Amino acid sequence: MKEGESSSYDKIRSMTRLKDVLEVATSFEQSARDFYTDLIPKVSKNFRWLAEALAKEEQGHYDLFTNLSRRDDIAEAIQAEIERPVTDGQFADAIMSPDLGPHPDDQAVLQYAMGREHLAMSHYRSLADGTEPGPIKDLFAYLANEEAKHKEELEKLYYETVHAGGV
Amino acid sequence: MRPENYEAQRHPPSNEYELNIGPNHPGIEGNYAFKLRLHGDRVIEGRADAGYLHRGFEKLMEGRLWIQNLAITPRICVPDPVPMEISYCLAVEDLCGLEVPERALWLRVLQAELSRLAAHLFTFGGHAATTGMYTPMFWGIADRDLILDLFEELCGGRVYHIYNIPGGVRRDMPPGFIERVSNTLDYLETRLPDYDNLMFKNLVFVQRARGVGVISQEQALDWAVTGPNLRATGLALDVRRDDPYLIYDQLAFDIPTEDGGDAWSRALVRRKELFESIKIIRQVLAKLPSLPGPIRCPIPNPLAWNVPAGSTYVRMESSKGELAWYVVSNGSEKPYRTHVRGPSQMHAVQVLEKLSIGCRIEDVAQIMFSLDACPPEVDR
Amino acid sequence: MSDIDYKDHGGVLAPLKNLRFFGRNAVTVPLDPRTASANYRGFHLNDWQACVGCSTCQKVCDNAAITMVEIPGLPEDPVKGVRNLRPAIDYGRCCWCALCVDLCPTGSISLSREYVHTCVDADLDSYFVLPDSNGIHGVAYDKGWAKSVESDLVALERTDMTEAAPEARIDNFEEIVAGYDKNQAIIEASRCVQCGMCHDACPTRMNAPEYIRAIWQDDMEEAVRQIYRTNPFAHTCGRVCTHRCETACSVGHRGEPIAIRWLKRYAMDAVAPERVKQIAAEGKPGYVTGKRIAIIGAGPAGLTAAFDLAKQGHEVQVYEAMSQAGGMTRYGIPYYRMPADMLDRDVEVIQSLGVKIQYNTRIGVDLRMDELQQQFDAVLIAVGLWTGRSTRIQGADNDGVERAVELLRKVADGEPIRVPRQAVIIGGGNVAMDIARTLARLQKHRYGEVAITLTALEDIDHFLADRDEIKEAREEGVEILDARGPQQVVIENGGASGLCTWKVLSIFDEKGRFAPKYNADDQLIHPGDMIVEAIGQAADIALLGEALTEELEWNRGRLKVDDGLRTSADWLWAAGDMVRGPDVVTAVADGHKAAASINQFLCIREQAA
Repeated sequence: MKEGESSSYDKIRSMTRLKDVLEVATSFEQSARDFYTDLIPKVSKNFRWLAEALAKEEQGHYDLFTNLSRRDDIAEAIQAEIERPVTDGQFADAIMSPDLGPHPDDQAVLQYAMGREHLAMSHYRSLADGTEPGPIKDLFAYLANEEAKHKEELEKLYYETVHAGGV
Repeated sequence: MRPENYEAQRHPPSNEYELNIGPNHPGIEGNYAFKLRLHGDRVIEGRADAGYLHRGFEKLMEGRLWIQNLAITPRICVPDPVPMEISYCLAVEDLCGLEVPERALWLRVLQAELSRLAAHLFTFGGHAATTGMYTPMFWGIADRDLILDLFEELCGGRVYHIYNIPGGVRRDMPPGFIERVSNTLDYLETRLPDYDNLMFKNLVFVQRARGVGVISQEQALDWAVTGPNLRATGLALDVRRDDPYLIYDQLAFDIPTEDGGDAWSRALVRRKELFESIKIIRQVLAKLPSLPGPIRCPIPNPLAWNVPAGSTYVRMESSKGELAWYVVSNGSEKPYRTHVRGPSQMHAVQVLEKLSIGCRIEDVAQIMFSLDACPPEVDR
Repeated sequence: MSDIDYKDHGGVLAPLKNLRFFGRNAVTVPLDPRTASANYRGFHLNDWQACVGCSTCQKVCDNAAITMVEIPGLPEDPVKGVRNLRPAIDYGRCCWCALCVDLCPTGSISLSREYVHTCVDADLDSYFVLPDSNGIHGVAYDKGWAKSVESDLVALERTDMTEAAPEARIDNFEEIVAGYDKNQAIIEASRCVQCGMCHDACPTRMNAPEYIRAIWQDDMEEAVRQIYRTNPFAHTCGRVCTHRCETACSVGHRGEPIAIRWLKRYAMDAVAPERVKQIAAEGKPGYVTGKRIAIIGAGPAGLTAAFDLAKQGHEVQVYEAMSQAGGMTRYGIPYYRMPADMLDRDVEVIQSLGVKIQYNTRIGVDLRMDELQQQFDAVLIAVGLWTGRSTRIQGADNDGVERAVELLRKVADGEPIRVPRQAVIIGGGNVAMDIARTLARLQKHRYGEVAITLTALEDIDHFLADRDEIKEAREEGVEILDARGPQQVVIENGGASGLCTWKVLSIFDEKGRFAPKYNADDQLIHPGDMIVEAIGQAADIALLGEALTEELEWNRGRLKVDDGLRTSADWLWAAGDMVRGPDVVTAVADGHKAAASINQFLCIREQAA
């Protein structure tokens, strides 16, 4: 299952246990982390730090979800988070997600990453909208929020790298 | 001096002895020494010994920026510091071609005349004290204090005003100042009859002061006597009238004179000048409200200010006489040379020496005070 | 005397008249301290928040009563012009003239209405005071003589600089700034209080107080000499520097800062080029060291390093890809800001020291890095930021979309470009302003009218461009729309016809980082047959080659360098925009740093060998 691919999300649409949903979400982060880790040696050394940073981010996400699923009070924990949802700025929406190709530059990698986060966020959001109120809906909202946070972080980095006049 | 080398010197019999007066002596105005050779109670010869108040102003000023000298000019003459400040500023303004705004000129006259009042009140006390009367001194200092209060309000300092700056003055009058000056003047006018009764009409003072230290007109002109001392010989010479500066040509005032040429006449001239100064100040107070505008013209950054090369000689009428400054600039940020012609230099040195010959010992102090010879001005 | 009738004794009862004195109140002065007047010059007060430690009070005090004391813990910010020094007063020397108050640039120091201090001999040191807002005894007294408009002696107003009016400058590339004449320069230079904040704030530690004073003394050669102590790009910096000096200027806290940049321009223009070369060469040794250094890039960083190294006796060879030297100062800054002939003067001075420049030579193509490594003792790479970033929005790959840096380069190189009838610029920095104003001029010249719209993500207060640039761009007819984010390029008949933007809600996070947030409901289409992207620049490091890129260490996209700007390869240094971000004077400072490091390294090699 791949993060970003809608077929993957269909599977969790019908899950009912929080732990199951979280397990799927965690596997998404794992696959993302692996993707970026594979990318590290493929990109030019001058911006290899980007791929490393992205892999580390995804690892962080993986750890976050893993720890969350081990808790007993998952429902309460996520309740607090989704009370303050991150608004989606849509900054990344206009940027086209490129095919990374054999020699991506730093901007392309960031665009790709933002696109991935955006899609993940959209999917979780639509899942949340389509679920009855309850802990599962809350969980989807929480996951959407996390992706939105991640996307916002990348947007800041993208602005600093591409738009702020410096290398 | 070893005892074996000492041999007593025998002088021929004489009835003369030497006496030093000063430099710290209540009979001396300021710090000043006067060596007398006396025969009994009569003075045969007097030698002035100046220098105890030499602070090196003229040299000090060469080592300081033009603006920094403002802080030390008032200290040249302690009782009447204002003419020092104003004449330094006039000299610099002359060299730089600065045009002082009108309001500043009137404020300067106000300051100068108030200072003249304060100086004369101070002098009355001194003169009377040499004749053994101390109440005029207390009165003079106390009334002078009210004028110092006015200075404190206007300038921020009571004695050393540091109020003038090349181009004008540093602060404008605080609100209500005109009224307070006017009240003070009213009060002083009510006090003048008391002074008259205490001092000027007092037979003790009259008899002590009349005929003492007589200067004739020829002698006065010969010895470069100026100020009230000169006017007491009958000559109506005053820089404010003869060579008007600031806005004195727009003011109405008389030049009081006496014709005795003695200490009594000099005291009376000063007493009459009080009236004139009060008259002048009232005219200034009446004019000031109709003179809005800046109180100084712009000057360059004082830390980077080269006064154009040249020399100038400016003179003013201070309470003691004709005060003049000779300032030379070589185009740099510090004066090349400044020289102060203090009126007291002539009075305290040559005039006093000449007048003391033949007078009684108790009159030496009176002569000095009646000449209003101010040692800080002599020594600088 | 006639009107005092001293013979009138008033009769026998006259003495009784004096009994009225018993009816008078005695003159009694209370023993309590008397409140001084509103203007009184008493002991000092100093507002430590407002005081910046500039030491002007110390300079003007005629009795040397003021000593500046370092107070650890107080803010110290050279960029803003703040030092952690505060004045201490020796009341044994102070005469309370208040010149310190009148000359204080910030107005922090004042004299209070407190005037009494007594002590025993053993405590005589209590007359040496470090005043703060609490006063000499820690008891609050009102201010007496404080900074006022009447008595203020600080020269707050700057001498105006004559600039060409918009109508006069819109159709040509003549330099807009006319420069000071001698009178103006001397007056402007006289405003300086010689505090040295400018020196601390400048990346190259320019001896600005010294050259300003030399200008005031009309000693122009001395001014040039002082300038060349730290800056061989002085004609350039005198026109286009980002003037951190002026931001830190202490007079600028309440008034307008000294025009330090314009004064530099004046000084450099005032001395004949031949004489400037002689002054710049002063101190050059008569010997050669035999060491050879290659410098890639004849921009400010590269040429400054070349200047320093040549002056130390080394042989310097500069390789420049373009046909002329100057880097971004020629090919990025339009001529109306930076005339090419003045830049040439800077370059010629550097060349006159023996620096050789080989033009039209692209490293990586005409020569390889490993060849340079073998042929030279040290290599400095200073290639700048010459790749323009693209927004990569939809339609950005159309022919009608250009990068600002490329257009500017072409215009500077004399290459013809297509002049659009109507252009939309994306970006809010100086480069965006430069291309907007350049295109405006070309449009005016070709079509007789200006049609430029500029959009940027940031709101106008956060534009990265200089305020002056924004103002002048507007005067020249550039329409500036802030807080708009590009969505896509509108394509019509295969060409660009406009730019679609959304409104941006500018929100900075608590760390001051910016993630633009769009409002899709507020959409605009800006018509234009050319869209120019001026959003950012990157370094083109392809010249390093893959092997070297892999070998070197990097730091977040830039070459990792130590304090001496040496990379992880011991023979390679990197300096300038590519390492530090775009700024001319920082590049000059980098050039010095790199040259010093290279020189030291070569000396060590000599000793080790």
